[in-house]
Amino acid sequence: MNLPVTPFDFQACLAACAQGDRRALQALYTHEGARLLGVTRRIARDDATAEDIVHDAFIRIWTRAASFDPARGSARGWIYSITRHLALNHIRDVRCEVAFDESDIDAIGAVFPGADDEAWSGSSRIYRCLEQLQPSPQRCILHAYVDGCSHIEIASLLDAPLGTVKAWIKRSLKALRECMG
Amino acid sequence: MKADAADQDQDALEALAGEYVLGTLPADQRAALAARMAHDPRLQRAVDAWEERLLALTRVAQPSTPSPRLWGRIERSLDERAGWFAKPSVAWWQRLRLWQGVSAVGIAASLVLTFLLLVSPAPSPRYLVVLVAPTDQAPGWVVQASDGRALELIPLGQDAVPDGMALQFWTKGSQWPAPVSLGLIKPGEQYRVPASSMPPLEPDQLFELTLEKAGGSPTGRPTGPVKFIGRAVKVI
Repeated sequence: MNLPVTPFDFQACLAACAQGDRRALQALYTHEGARLLGVTRRIARDDATAEDIVHDAFIRIWTRAASFDPARGSARGWIYSITRHLALNHIRDVRCEVAFDESDIDAIGAVFPGADDEAWSGSSRIYRCLEQLQPSPQRCILHAYVDGCSHIEIASLLDAPLGTVKAWIKRSLKALRECMG
Repeated sequence: MKADAADQDQDALEALAGEYVLGTLPADQRAALAARMAHDPRLQRAVDAWEERLLALTRVAQPSTPSPRLWGRIERSLDERAGWFAKPSVAWWQRLRLWQGVSAVGIAASLVLTFLLLVSPAPSPRYLVVLVAPTDQAPGWVVQASDGRALELIPLGQDAVPDGMALQFWTKGSQWPAPVSLGLIKPGEQYRVPASSMPPLEPDQLFELTLEKAGGSPTGRPTGPVKFIGRAVKVI
């Protein structure tokens, strides 16, 4: 008989970090480190830089754990926001334009919209709402969020005019907000 | 009509918050928005909502096992931080680098001193200290003290202190065993220490401002980083 898997309690983890319990931070690292590194690697596109960002993210999580406010959102979301924004700040500061590796594009194509992929067949509303967008606007949202691409990078990837890409993103965000509430 | 304008305003706010979370804002706009969020609760709520809406997209990225060294690096950084705030292994007056920095003070002191003597019609103070930043020797404060009168700390600029932190003012004579606190000061504000609350000044007496937790150093000794430092120069 399988024991039920206890979900990781992100909020209790942050509360323990705020109390100075370093084992809580280590537990977070063990549980979520690989996923957080996966997210930063897609944005930073460089293994060493991605590890630097995850390092900085854990220091920031540790020092700011006391400021986490559950009324503003989930603890897991707070942790991912800190990490993603560190990665985004980094690439917006250092990267003007990037020559995209073809494998990055393939990776996106492989993930969306693979119905057999657990991430897509799951109950997340964002995926159901994304599916209602046209293919190009969908790719804009994914390239931006997952790969940290700027408007210009997306325009060159999709071979579309910059103004069109900006309009697609604006309209897609509006549609997603209406779809998800 | 008014309701339409409010709707448009909300739409613009949502669009901005959405692009911030999506990551498509250029660096300057990202920084401006992050700064605005701190005092704009509506924007903050819009950003928070977008973070939650899009969070599940982080699952698109394949997990990637960190190198075995990464956790060790994080732990070392935490140790360093803990040491920085709690227990510096070497007291500041024994740090070589600091004294190397302080040696440049003489030049800055003489320049500011000349300036002050030229512009000030008041009687010259007997002692003058220019406090400079140890990193770049930029003058930040001037201390002046007259015979038997209050000691004055005068800001030369406006510098900010992070939330929850404070600047603490210290002095140490050459024969004293340890620095003595002269109190907490506010950035950019003049501060006076009554002559009665400190021993007579001596040449080469050291003054400094350190960054401490709000409320001041818990140990009674400087524990945080030195922001400004300088030595007393006797004025004839």
